Amino acid sequence: MGAYVLRRLWQMIPTLAGVMLLIFVLFNWVGGDPSLVLAGKITNKEQIENIKKQLGVDQPAYVQLGYFAFEVATGFTCTWKSFTDKSESSTAAAKGGEKNDAKPPANSGCQAVRSWATNEEVPKILTSRIVPTLTIMIPVLLLETLLGIILAIGVAYVRGTLTDRMIMMVCTVAMSVSFLVYIIVAQYLFGFQLGWFPVQGWSDSFWKNITYYAPLPIMLAVFVSLAPTLRLYRSFFLDEINQDYVRTARAKGVAEKTVMMKHVLRNALIPILTNIGIALPGLFVGSFLLETFFSIPGLGREILVAVNRSDFPVIKAATVYLAMVTMMINLLVDVLYKAVDPRVTFK
Amino acid sequence: MIFSVLTFKQFKCAALALPMVFVLFISNATAAEKKVLKIAFRNAETGFDPQRIEDRYSVGIAENFFETLITYDWLARPAKLVPLAAEKVPEGEEGGTRFTFRIKPGILFADDAAFKGKKRELVARDMEYAMKRFRDPINRSPYAWLFIDRIVGFDEFVEAAKKANKYDYEKPVPGIQVLDKYTISFKLKQADYNFLYFFAMPMVVPVAREVIEAYPNDTMAHPVGTGPYVLKEWTRRSRIVLERNTNYRGHQLNTQYANPDDQWDNDAIKALAGKILPLIDRVEISPIEEEQPRFLAFMNFEHDYIEETPLGFVSQLLPLGKLSPAMVKRNVRVFRSEEPEITWDGFNMEDKIVGGYLPENVAFRRALILAHDRSQEVDIIRRGQAGPTKSPIPPGVVGYDPNFNATEQEYDLARAKALLDMYGFIDRDGDGWREMPDGRQIILQFKYRANEQESRQVAELWVKCMAALGIRMTTVSVQFADLLRDRKVGKFQMSNFAWIADYPDAQNFLQLLYGPNTDESNDSRFKFPEYDRLYSLALKLPDGPERNKIYREMNRLIVAYAPWRFGVNRTFSHFINPWVLGYKKHPILYTAFKYLDIDIAAKNAALQP
Repeated sequence: MGAYVLRRLWQMIPTLAGVMLLIFVLFNWVGGDPSLVLAGKITNKEQIENIKKQLGVDQPAYVQLGYFAFEVATGFTCTWKSFTDKSESSTAAAKGGEKNDAKPPANSGCQAVRSWATNEEVPKILTSRIVPTLTIMIPVLLLETLLGIILAIGVAYVRGTLTDRMIMMVCTVAMSVSFLVYIIVAQYLFGFQLGWFPVQGWSDSFWKNITYYAPLPIMLAVFVSLAPTLRLYRSFFLDEINQDYVRTARAKGVAEKTVMMKHVLRNALIPILTNIGIALPGLFVGSFLLETFFSIPGLGREILVAVNRSDFPVIKAATVYLAMVTMMINLLVDVLYKAVDPRVTFK
Repeated sequence: MIFSVLTFKQFKCAALALPMVFVLFISNATAAEKKVLKIAFRNAETGFDPQRIEDRYSVGIAENFFETLITYDWLARPAKLVPLAAEKVPEGEEGGTRFTFRIKPGILFADDAAFKGKKRELVARDMEYAMKRFRDPINRSPYAWLFIDRIVGFDEFVEAAKKANKYDYEKPVPGIQVLDKYTISFKLKQADYNFLYFFAMPMVVPVAREVIEAYPNDTMAHPVGTGPYVLKEWTRRSRIVLERNTNYRGHQLNTQYANPDDQWDNDAIKALAGKILPLIDRVEISPIEEEQPRFLAFMNFEHDYIEETPLGFVSQLLPLGKLSPAMVKRNVRVFRSEEPEITWDGFNMEDKIVGGYLPENVAFRRALILAHDRSQEVDIIRRGQAGPTKSPIPPGVVGYDPNFNATEQEYDLARAKALLDMYGFIDRDGDGWREMPDGRQIILQFKYRANEQESRQVAELWVKCMAALGIRMTTVSVQFADLLRDRKVGKFQMSNFAWIADYPDAQNFLQLLYGPNTDESNDSRFKFPEYDRLYSLALKLPDGPERNKIYREMNRLIVAYAPWRFGVNRTFSHFINPWVLGYKKHPILYTAFKYLDIDIAAKNAALQP
């Protein structure tokens, strides 16, 4: 298994390089000129040139690509040598007044990658935003999976009955309504009219967040994701229920409960695991709709703000981060297959 | 039982004292209860380094950390300059080319580790340092334009820094002279009476060099000024908490220009007069981008007031212009403000079809303007929360002429058609669309910002109106950065624009069509010598009838040559809970925390279930 994991890790390098190239091309040729956005209401050539110089977007494309690769690899950016390097900031830094937590490489001239809009360190942005996102998304995933499995196995058991049909119909209707509508209605109804939950907000206390601010967004996300999950998992269970080994077990007189919980459930777990694997990267990005509407300072909202501000370093970092998370999760899921299904072998 | 340890007399004393103790306890508890103001902003902030920020939300918060040398009288409308950190508003000397400020002695910065435990007084050098920061390339200051080609020797100072590869703060700028500890003087290249306004802008504030140098990579998070508040907590783009600056000297509402007939003025004076401000202990701000949660947070009493209420909700709270019964029951007040801003749809004057200065070019543009039904923009797109712009200078701005009415911009489709017919813009091939007098096809293009509903609707309205005129028009949506670039390089035919006043003088708006500002702020690329001459002339004059006459002439030229189709002046509705005292929306200053008070008893009573 070690060799398999190592090989997969090696394969990630060209994949990541491809992702980076795609991001670079998209941002450099489609993304527009950020210097105009940053220059303010009244621009002049001197200012635009200065901004371009500082951002490094005046460099040839291959140089910019090289710096981008360096930034991804190290988390640091090396500024293009303009006369500004020796002005106020660098002088002050030399005096030891630097409060920057991140340590640049020894040759200096380098510093942590920073947001163009706020000058905040991008790694700090990502790490500070991931906590609220996970506070919402982990309970969502757990509840969605658990409830999805329980309900799906129940519905699969009564397949073809009126109950089954009614539940499937409700699921179809529920899936036809936009998530945005659920959010708007639930926020108005439960937050404002009934006052069961706060309309919006977030605090520094994890306990207060999970008990006070997070329940409504979590319940909404679970409710909305449950319908498609239930339909999907039901189909996984139905696939297994119709298999020969289930018929054989029943013929042998195995109790129905044992058939469903031991034989059917275990085999259905493989596609369920694949499905969870697909959903997992989303866990680390969050739902920008939920985060925006409920004022949760998560990663999804952060990315949205960055897009609105053309804050490319943040958008690029988030995209690369998501690509890496996706690849790592795919690897993890592949390894987990082995644990769930002994027939799986690594080649 | 108690009599066994106390005599009757002792017990009587204790019994009498008990209510007093209770009253004392209650009053102490009340005194200890902090006045906390909770509000939301429509957008997220970026940071609080005054020389590096531009967005009004960051600037609005920074207003409370720093103090300008001069500011606006809180209640005066139109805005009037009054001293703040300076002893007085200086008069222009040497024919309006020199302005000298004397800073009040004894003003202290808020405490910060950079001061190493010592109290730090505000001095003239701090203003000099801040001024130089605007042009330091490392700051990428969005307001660097304020001081380009304006102060004697400043441009040369920057050029020399470029050549030397070093921006030297020690080196003097000839036009920025620190005369003594508290006095700073600015010498301008040419007369400019609006220069004074720059020193009332919340980003043109003195900063302490020690603080900037202590946090070179994170100045955005260390706003240390002399203002009434300090930054207590900051979860970026989520929660900003301000608390009183203990070093702040305090001030009183000292208005000279309140309108005795204005109820808001009278209420503010009643609530604040004679008190040492600020009265609010703590301000908690939540940036909420989405309209519904921001609105519901106000309705749910989570916030004390809501400013710039989303259009979709104004009709709920203010049906037919009157407060709804539910709001009346809550004693909520509404403040309606017409902001010092304008919108317009601009033509590219260098474009081969819509541009040009010949009679037929002008006639063509004027016909397009006459055929554009702006009332639909007001009623449908702006949902009645705007009024048609009658001149390029919005109300509330010095130089605004209420009697100036650009009738040439009023909707008149028949007149538009007649004008096109007269100049030969007719349908020559019978396809239903008009052609140019020389037979060339006309397909106009309106460029607008992608993913912005209002811009899209404005563009669609143009297409509809042009179709009625027999002019073909298409729309193109582009990303914001691309739109900015296209406008700057003249790669557009028509587009929609907006401008919010940086300072309340007509010049801030009229510069948008000043020829030499092409490639900078004159996106229509309007170059008309007479207009430019008048602009330069007005710059050299102080506010007065002579300058107003010039402004009027410039307005006429704009209407005559029609580089713009005037848009709308938006009206905003701000709803305020009854316990918030002293409220009045200022046209230039964004926040008003130091002029607000909270009636805690009224708030607690209102929040009782």
